[in-house]
Amino acid sequence: MTRLAIFHSTVRAEEKLLLEAARKRRVRVKLADIRTEILDPNAYTVDFDVALERSVSTVKGDYAVAFLESLGMPVVNSSAVARNCGDKFLTSILLHRAGVRQPKFALVFTVGQALQTIERFGGFPIVLKPPLGSWGRLLAKVNDRDSLEALLEHKDVLGTPPQKAFYLQEFVAKPGRDIRAFVVGGETICAIYRESPHWITNTARGGIARNCPLTEELHSACSRAAAAVGGGLLAIDLFETPDGLSVNEVNHTMEFRNSEAPTGVSISGAIVDYCLRAAKGRT
Amino acid sequence: MSLERTEMTWRGQCPVCAALIVPPAGVEETELLPCPECQTMLVVDGRQGNRMVLSEAPQIEEDWGE
Repeated sequence: MTRLAIFHSTVRAEEKLLLEAARKRRVRVKLADIRTEILDPNAYTVDFDVALERSVSTVKGDYAVAFLESLGMPVVNSSAVARNCGDKFLTSILLHRAGVRQPKFALVFTVGQALQTIERFGGFPIVLKPPLGSWGRLLAKVNDRDSLEALLEHKDVLGTPPQKAFYLQEFVAKPGRDIRAFVVGGETICAIYRESPHWITNTARGGIARNCPLTEELHSACSRAAAAVGGGLLAIDLFETPDGLSVNEVNHTMEFRNSEAPTGVSISGAIVDYCLRAAKGRT
Repeated sequence: MSLERTEMTWRGQCPVCAALIVPPAGVEETELLPCPECQTMLVVDGRQGNRMVLSEAPQIEEDWGE
């Protein structure tokens, strides 16, 4: 019987769904709170066959994944996927290299560079994002030069070093919604529209989830985006544009509590099945 | 705050307002539970024998998310 270890911090609704899916499949599950683990290669006991990293803390999760991989343990998602998805700029350049449609983007360090970039993008408004971050936090839709200068000064003075790298993204006028697709091993298993009158549509910020039908275009865009970052378990956010679907972001520790009901798909079951394949080297 | 076990019912006490809390069935360690009275988000810290320990949930940190 395959032994699955779920490395977590706070047990969220997603982890509860995963536990239920694992128990239905009679998979032996070990819950490992990353915050209580001592990552010492000379003293660590491996009593599982595959690890699923589900920490809310990116930093702790990344260290745990690297450590477990160093012990030869299959880990979902891999450190490479985590690295590729954890930084928005890194994700964007990988998508660019793979020819995946996405909004224009650039990384700059000064107001002058930002203004140059914005002019090349076609002017305001522009979206300013932290390269590292989640849940729609610290996103800014910047409408004019005055706001840009104020925001960048605040980040420069008050921010941590990563916040002093300014990720600029072309503002995409959405039709009141965007799409979040759930991709497992390169296959799009389901998707939701996230509807909101606000330009930030994360469900963590109040966006409403409704089922999004899977189309060939969606499958194709997600498959190529997933391949670009290394595959695995991904939640891919896309915009609907006049030119077609455009990939906004790729997330590697997906949250899906609001998505199983509207889609009718057991995302948690698909994740557990993927982990079982990973344990056998079949991913 | 400690939890008393009465038959199959686990109980806890909110560390902020002292409200009695009955965690739902199947609650896991590190799971978050809101206090029904003061709405403070609490975390299940663990068990000490038949006691379940509840404390205030940690604040969201910069690197939290998906």
